[in-house]
Amino acid sequence: MSCCASVPKIRKSVNSARPRSSPIEYVELHARSAFSFLEGASLPEDMVSTCATLDLPAMALLDRDGLYGAPRFHMAADKAGIQAHIGAEVTFCETDLQIAGLSNFRIEEFKPGPAVDRAHNSSIRKSDNSTISPRLPLLVSSRLGYQNLCRLITGMKLRAQKNEGAVCEAELQEHASGLICLTGGPEGPLAAALARGGFEEAQRCVDSLIGIFGHDNVFVELQRHFLRDEEYRNQAAIEIARSLHLPLLATNGVSYAGSQHRELCDVFTALRHHCTLATAGRLLARNSERHLKTSQQMRQLFADLPEAISKTVELSSRLEFELSDLGYQFPKYPVPEGETLMSFLRRRTHEGFRERYGRAGSDLQQRAWRQIERELTLIQKLELAGYFLIVWDLVRFCREQNILVQGRGSAANSAVCYSLGITAVDPISMELLFERFLSEERGEWPDIDLDLPSGDQRERVIQHVYQSYGERGAAMTANVITYRGRLAAREMGKALGFEPETLERLSAVVGSWEYRDEHDSFDRRFRDAGLDLCHPRLRKYFELCEAVQNLPRHLGQHSGGMVICQGQLDSVVPLEPASMPGRVVVQWDKDDCADLGIIKVDLLGLGMMAVLEDSIELIRKDYGEEVSLAHLPADDPAVYATLQKADTIGMFQVESRAQMSCLPRLRPQRFYDIVVQVAIIRPGPIVGQMVNPFLQRRQGREPVSYPHPSLEPVLARTLGVPLFQEQLLRIAMIAANFTGGEAEELRRAMGFKRSQARMKEIEAKLRAGMERNGIAPAAQEQIILSITSFALYGFPESHAASFALLAYASAFLKEHYLAAFTAALLNNQPMGFYHPATIVKDAQRHGLKIRPIDVMKSDWLCTLEPVSSFEFKVSGEKNHTHIQATQPPLRLGLRYVRGLREEAGQSLVRARTEAPFTSIHDIAHRVPELRKDELNTLAAIGALNSVSSNGDPVPRHQVSDDQNHACIPSSGNLQLETRILFSRTSKLHRRDALWQVERAVRYSGPLLEELSELDSPSPLQPMNHEERLVADFHGTGMTVGPHPMAYRRGQMESMGVRRASDLRKLPNGQRTRIAGCVIVRQRPGTAKGFVFLSLEDETGVANAIISPDMFQKNRLLLVSEKFVMVEGVLQNLDNVISVKADCITPLSITQAETTSHNFH
Amino acid sequence: MAFACIFVPDFPVEAILRAEPDLRSQALALLEGKPPQQKVFAINEKARCAGLDAGMTKLQAEACPGLALRCRSTAQESAAHAALLDCAQSFSPRVEDTAPDTVVLDITGTEHLFGPPAKIARDLARRASDLGLEANVAVASNPDAAMLAARGYSGVSVIASGEEEERLGHLPLHVLLACLSEITPERAAELSDMFDRWGLRNLRSLTALPALAVSERMGQEGLRLQKLSRGAVVRTLVPVDSPLIFEESIELEYPLILLEPLAFLLGRLLDQVCSRLASRALATQELHLKLELETGIHLDEDQDSPQTPEIPDYNEDDETETGSPPPLQTAEHATRVSFFSRTLRLPVAMLDAKVFLKLLQLDLKAHPPGAPIKKIWLSAQPARARAAQGGLFIPPSPEPEKLELTMARIAGIVGEGRLGSIELLDTHRPEGFLLQHFNPIDAERSNSKPVAQDSAASAVTALRIFRPALRATVTLRDGKPAHLACLKKKEISGDVIWQAGPWRSSGDWWEPYAWARDEWDIALQTSNGVVLYRLVRDLLSGQWLVEGTYD
Repeated sequence: MSCCASVPKIRKSVNSARPRSSPIEYVELHARSAFSFLEGASLPEDMVSTCATLDLPAMALLDRDGLYGAPRFHMAADKAGIQAHIGAEVTFCETDLQIAGLSNFRIEEFKPGPAVDRAHNSSIRKSDNSTISPRLPLLVSSRLGYQNLCRLITGMKLRAQKNEGAVCEAELQEHASGLICLTGGPEGPLAAALARGGFEEAQRCVDSLIGIFGHDNVFVELQRHFLRDEEYRNQAAIEIARSLHLPLLATNGVSYAGSQHRELCDVFTALRHHCTLATAGRLLARNSERHLKTSQQMRQLFADLPEAISKTVELSSRLEFELSDLGYQFPKYPVPEGETLMSFLRRRTHEGFRERYGRAGSDLQQRAWRQIERELTLIQKLELAGYFLIVWDLVRFCREQNILVQGRGSAANSAVCYSLGITAVDPISMELLFERFLSEERGEWPDIDLDLPSGDQRERVIQHVYQSYGERGAAMTANVITYRGRLAAREMGKALGFEPETLERLSAVVGSWEYRDEHDSFDRRFRDAGLDLCHPRLRKYFELCEAVQNLPRHLGQHSGGMVICQGQLDSVVPLEPASMPGRVVVQWDKDDCADLGIIKVDLLGLGMMAVLEDSIELIRKDYGEEVSLAHLPADDPAVYATLQKADTIGMFQVESRAQMSCLPRLRPQRFYDIVVQVAIIRPGPIVGQMVNPFLQRRQGREPVSYPHPSLEPVLARTLGVPLFQEQLLRIAMIAANFTGGEAEELRRAMGFKRSQARMKEIEAKLRAGMERNGIAPAAQEQIILSITSFALYGFPESHAASFALLAYASAFLKEHYLAAFTAALLNNQPMGFYHPATIVKDAQRHGLKIRPIDVMKSDWLCTLEPVSSFEFKVSGEKNHTHIQATQPPLRLGLRYVRGLREEAGQSLVRARTEAPFTSIHDIAHRVPELRKDELNTLAAIGALNSVSSNGDPVPRHQVSDDQNHACIPSSGNLQLETRILFSRTSKLHRRDALWQVERAVRYSGPLLEELSELDSPSPLQPMNHEERLVADFHGTGMTVGPHPMAYRRGQMESMGVRRASDLRKLPNGQRTRIAGCVIVRQRPGTAKGFVFLSLEDETGVANAIISPDMFQKNRLLLVSEKFVMVEGVLQNLDNVISVKADCITPLSITQAETTSHNFH
Repeated sequence: MAFACIFVPDFPVEAILRAEPDLRSQALALLEGKPPQQKVFAINEKARCAGLDAGMTKLQAEACPGLALRCRSTAQESAAHAALLDCAQSFSPRVEDTAPDTVVLDITGTEHLFGPPAKIARDLARRASDLGLEANVAVASNPDAAMLAARGYSGVSVIASGEEEERLGHLPLHVLLACLSEITPERAAELSDMFDRWGLRNLRSLTALPALAVSERMGQEGLRLQKLSRGAVVRTLVPVDSPLIFEESIELEYPLILLEPLAFLLGRLLDQVCSRLASRALATQELHLKLELETGIHLDEDQDSPQTPEIPDYNEDDETETGSPPPLQTAEHATRVSFFSRTLRLPVAMLDAKVFLKLLQLDLKAHPPGAPIKKIWLSAQPARARAAQGGLFIPPSPEPEKLELTMARIAGIVGEGRLGSIELLDTHRPEGFLLQHFNPIDAERSNSKPVAQDSAASAVTALRIFRPALRATVTLRDGKPAHLACLKKKEISGDVIWQAGPWRSSGDWWEPYAWARDEWDIALQTSNGVVLYRLVRDLLSGQWLVEGTYD
C-alpha cells in the first residue's frame, strides 16, 4: 500500500515581504472582521488593504468562535505582503474555570462603571435571562496550536445549538498547546471577572489562565478607545500584570477597517439584539474608535506604556503559523492485500477501457490506450490515485443503489474518468483537452463534479460519504450568505425601524431585472415604489444598503460540495452542524477550500437527473419497457426533427426562449451539434459576438476563416469561431506558446474572481507570445477580444458534452415516452424554464391526455393510468392521434393542489387504499388531517366530483361535465369540445361538492356525527367556464381544460389576431397581431434592454420582441398584465418567428390567476 | 312601523368635503400615516375613476393629475357624525347611532308632523345635504331593511311593507356583509369567500337556499343572514343616549378686561357645574374654558392634540402644535378666530370648585386672553369620582388637589415644560432624559424598583453641571488643553495643570440631531486655588464648553 497522497503545494506568496521604509513598531493582534457575524463590519480583504495603507506589517484576525474569514484574510494578506496571524475569540464557560462558582452573570453586573460601553459586551447574547459568556482571545503560534484551535471550536460547535456553544476548562487544558491567550477587551475574561468580583477575582482569573496556557503564553491586553470605564479596567489590568509578572500587550480591539464603518457596526448591533437603532440605546457603540490605527496613533495612545506597544512586535514574531501550512491529507482508499493504490487504479482503468473501447475501431482504441497511459503516469506522479479511487467508489455505490450518476465539468476531459465510469462522454473521440482537467504545473487538485438526481437520492449518497469517512472526516462546504439586494434592503430597513409594510415595499424595490438601463438607478426605483429619497432617513437607508453589500450575514450549506480528509478533518478546519439534521459543514466555502488546497467532491443535485430517473421508472412500470440511458439509440431522427423545430419545452438546457430561437438556425443533426447548441447560448459567446458568425458559417452564408492559420486545428470543429473554454486554452497554447498550466491560469484570471492586475499581466504575456509567433496585430486583437468576452461565462466543451447527453436523453424520452416524461417533469417541479401550466398545455398539444386531480384516483404525485377502452378522438394532426393511441393518460397528482399539505394528501391516499370513499362526509370523517380550506380547494377544482354515495366511482358516462372537460386534449376545436362536454349528464358538479364540504366539516355533535348526508345535488348553480378557469388556476395554478384563449377565439378572430400556430405560414415582414397569456417575460443582461415576451394560446407559444423604448412607454402594462395583444411586424428568419412589437394592448380574457416566469 | 336610514358613502371624504365644498368637483384622496409613510386612506368617486386606490403611497397618488390631497381628520369626522345625528334627531327622538357613517331613526308616527315617509326621506336627504353631507336615505318597515336599502341604492328609496324581499333581492351580497356590525372583518371576509365559492351573487340567491340546508352549514348565523336578506328581521332600535353635557355659559353686557371680575364669574360657573356633577355623583378630570373676545387675537386650541396624547400636560394651547395644519383647519381658524379657549387636565378626578378656580386663575395669569371678554363658556368632562383610602401605616401624601395647585404655582414661576419628574433615557447622549408630569403614585412605584448599583457604588465625586454650559476659549498644547478662559465667568480661567481625556462619544448618526464630543477632566489653577472642571468640545461645531465642576 502506498503512502497516502499529500497535498500539492499551494501557491506561494507572491510578495513574500513588503518593502519597509521604517522599522516595525506595532502589530494589531486583536481584530475581528465581518465574519464575526453581525459584530464586525469589514471584510478581511478590506482590513488587509487598510493595513497596507497604514503600513502595518502584520495583523491577527480573531473572529468569534470560528475561522470563517481566515482563508480570505490569508490570501489577501499573502497578496499584499502582510503577515496574517490566525486566531479566534472562543466563548468559554466560566464554571469550569472555577472562578467563584459563578457561571453566568447578568449583563447589568458586567458594568464596571456608571456608563459602561455595553456595545461590545454584547458579543454576548442579551436575551430574556440576559446571560453572557466571556470570550477568550486565542492566537495560533504553531501548526499544533492551529489544530488545537480547530478541534476546540469543532467540539464546542458540534454539541451546542447554533451560536450557543462554549468551551470548558478541561477542553482548554487539553488543547492549550501552541496557543497564546490574551486577557481580552470588554468582552474578555478579565473584564468579566473584574466586573463580577473586583480586583481579586480578576487576579484569580488571570492566574487560572496561566495555569492553562503557561506563564509565557498569557498576555494582559490593554485597549484604549477614549472611554472612562475602559481606563478603570486598564488600570486594574496593569496592576495585575505587574503583580503576576506578565507582559502587557496593546491592541485596539478592532471591529472595522475605518471609522466610517462604525455606522454599519451599530446597525449590526441592533440586528443582533432584535431591536432598532432608536431602541438599542446604550447597546450601540459609544464612539467610532474601533478601527485600524497607525503605529503612531497607537504609540500616542499608549505613550505612558511603550512596552505594551513593543510587545506586539515581539509576540508577532512568535506567531509562526501560516494558513498555507494546514497539514491537510486526502484519505487513502483501502486496497486489497498485495496491491498499491496505483496498481489497483490501473487495473480498474484497464477493465473500464475494455468495456468502453472494446468494440471501438483500432485507431480509437490505440489513441485511447495512449491517452490513458499518459494520464495514469501523471496521476502516479501527482499521487492522486487515491482521489480517483474514492470518486470511482462513490460512482460504484450509486450504480449499486440504482442511482443515476454522471460526472460533469472538466473531469469529462479525462479518459481515465471515462474508463472508470465516472463520466459518460468519450474524451478521445471528442478530442477533449486533458490539461483542462489535470496539469502538473497548476499544483491543484482536479475537480470532479458528480450530477445526481436531486432530492432523496442525492441525500443517500451524501450520507454514504459521512458513513464512510466518519462525522469528523467528511463535511459539506459552507456557503457564505452575504448581504445583497433584498436581504440588505430588508435588514437595513428593520434596523432603521421601518414598518413591516414599508419593508415589504422596500425589498420589492430591489427588483430582479437582470438588465438595468440607465434609468434603473436606485433613485428611480425608490420613486417608482412611492418613496422619497429626499427624506433624510431614506437617504441614510440607501447609504447603508450600499455599504452592507457583500458583507457576510451567516453561514449556509453549499448545495453539494463535500470535503474529506485523511484522519481528522476537524484539525484542518473547524466543523459545525448544519441546520439540516445529519449534516456537518466546514467553516469555509468551496473557493476558500480550493484556495487552501483542500480537495472537494461536488455531489450536485440536478433536477433533470431526477426527471430521467423517474421517467425510466415510470416507463418500466406503466409501459412495461426497459430503457437505459447508456444504451439510448445514438442518432434518433425523431429527436433531431423535434430539436430542429425548436419544439423543446421541458427538455434539458435547450428549452429557453433564446435556445429555441437558435435551434432552427443551427438545425442539430448529430450529437456534437447539441454540444454546440448547449454551449453557444451563454453570456460569453453572446457578448463576444460569436453566435451569429458561427450560425452564418454553419448555414454557409459566410466563409470559414481563422484568426491565424496555426489555429485551424483548434477551431476547425467550430468553423473558426471559439465556442468552448478549451479552445481558448489551446489558442493560448498555440498562439502564445502557453503551457497547459499557464493557459489554465489565464482562465482563472479571467473568471469570476478576476483581478485587473492579474489579467493585465497575463494579457501582456499573451501578447508577447503572439508577437514571438508572428501573429498579426489585428488577429492578436481578435484573439484577445474573444478571450476577454469569454471571461464573462462560457462552457468548457467537456461540460457542454455532459449536458448535451442529458439534453439528448430528455429529448428522446419526451419524443417517445411523452406521458412518463411529462409525469416525471411535473413531479420534480419547480425546475426548468416554464411553469407547470405551460408544460401541461404543451403535452396536451402533443396529444397527451391529462386527467384532472381526483381524490378517487390521484396519488400525491402525478401518475400514469392504463389506456381505457373508452377513447374519443379529436380531429387533429396525424402524429398526435398516433401518440394518443399509445400514450397512457396522465393523472395529475394531489401535489398540485395549492395549500394541501403533503401529510394530509398522503393520509387521503392511504385512507382510499383501505376502502374507496363513499361520500364527501366519508372523506372528512376518515381523513381528519384534511382541513376545511383543503377540502374546499379540492371541491373547487373538481377533485371531489367523482365521489359517489354508493361507494363506487361515478360511472364514466355520468361524470360531471366540468370534470370531464379536462380530459379533452386541447386541440383548439372548442365547439366540438364543448359539445362533448355538455352532452354528458352530471351527478356532482363542483358547487355540489362545495355545498357538501361545508356540511361535512361542520361539527354536528356526537349524536349526529355518524349521520352522513347523501351527496345529493345542491341548490347551487354549476360553475360556468370562467368560474372553472378561475377555480382551476386558483387551486392548482393550471387548467387541464381548454386554454383560456380558446374561449375567446371568435372574438380574437374578429380582431384580426392570429393563432400562434398560424404564424409559421405568414411571410416575413407582414404586419400581424398576436395575443395570449404571458408565460415568460425576459430581459437578459446581454440583450441591451430588449424584452422578450412569450405569449401562449391554445395552439402554441408566440414570441414578441419589445424594444427598450416600447418597454419604457408600456412598463406597467408589460410587467403586470396577464394577457396582452401585440401588434407589429412579423419576423420569420430561418423559421425563427417573432413579432417586433409596435403596439401593445392589454386584454381582458379571464380573471384566472395565470402566472409567468419572469426575468431569467 | 317605519324606519329611515341615512348612510353617507365614503364618509371620511365627505367629512372633509363638508368643510371644503369646492373640492367636490375634483378627485380627492385622504392620506393617513406619518411622513414619509403616508398612504391613501379614502378616495371619492372621481379619484376612483382616475385609477386611484386606497393603500397607495402619497408619491404614487401624486402622479394622478388634478388630484387634491388632504390629511384624514378624525375631528372633522366626529363633527360630521355629530351633524348626521343632529339631522336625524331633528326628525325623530328615537335615533340609533349605528356606525360613523350610518344612523337609523324611527319615523313611526311622524307623518302628521313631516308628511308621508317618502317626503320624510327626501327631507332627510336635503337636510343632510344642507349640513354638507351627500347621503343615501332609505325608508323601510324595519331598521335593517332600511339600512340595506340605504347602503345598496343611491339617493332616496322607499320600500313599502311586504316588498322588502323583492326590492332587496337585487342587492349584492357585500352590502349585506357591510351591514353586519356584530361580526369581525375576518369573519366577514370568510363569509364573502364562501358565498363566492357557492356562486351566490345577490341577496336573492342567498334567500333561495333551503333553510334547513343553510342551518346545517352555517348554523343560526346563516338563518339570520337569510332573514336579513329578505328584509324580515324585526328588532328593537337602540336609541342613542342624550350625552351628559355639563356646560354653563354667561354672556356679558360689558366686555371684561380684568382677571379679577372674570374670576368672580368663573367661580359662579364652576359652582354650577360642580353642583350638577355632584348631583350625578360624578367628578371631572377635564375642564374647558372658552371665551369669546371682542377682537380675535388668540386662536383656539385643538382639544385632541395628536402629538402629545401620552403626556398628561397640565395645559396646552394650539401654539404647541407642530406641523402645518391641513387646509380645512385654516378655514376653521378663520371662522373661530375671535375665541380663546383653555383646557385644564387633572391627574385625578376632582370636584372642588375652589381648587378649579385657583387653577384657572393661575392658568389665565400665565396665558392671558389678550382682549376684552364678551362671553364665557365653561364645560366639564364628567368622570367617576375618586375613591381612595389611606393606609394606616403609610405616611399621608399631599392631597392631589393641593399638589396640583402647588405645581401650577411653580410652573407659573419657572415656566411650562420645566417642571416634572425626570425619566432617564437609554442613550449615550449627554443629558438624555425626558421630563414627565410629576405623579406621586408613579414616583412611589419607581422608588420601589431595585436601583441598579450604578453610579453610587463607583462614583467618588460629584459633578455640578452648569446650565447652560459655559462657552470657553481653550489653548491647546500637544492636542491637550493647556489654558482656559471663560468669558462669562472670569473666575474660570487659568492654566490647566492636569488633564485626563479625551473621553470621546458620538451617536444618533442616523438622525438629523447627530452629535459627537470629547470630554476632558481638567484641573485649573485659578486665583482661588486648584479647581476641577469638566471641559467639553463639541466635535461638530468645534465649540469648547465648560460643562461642570467636580466637588
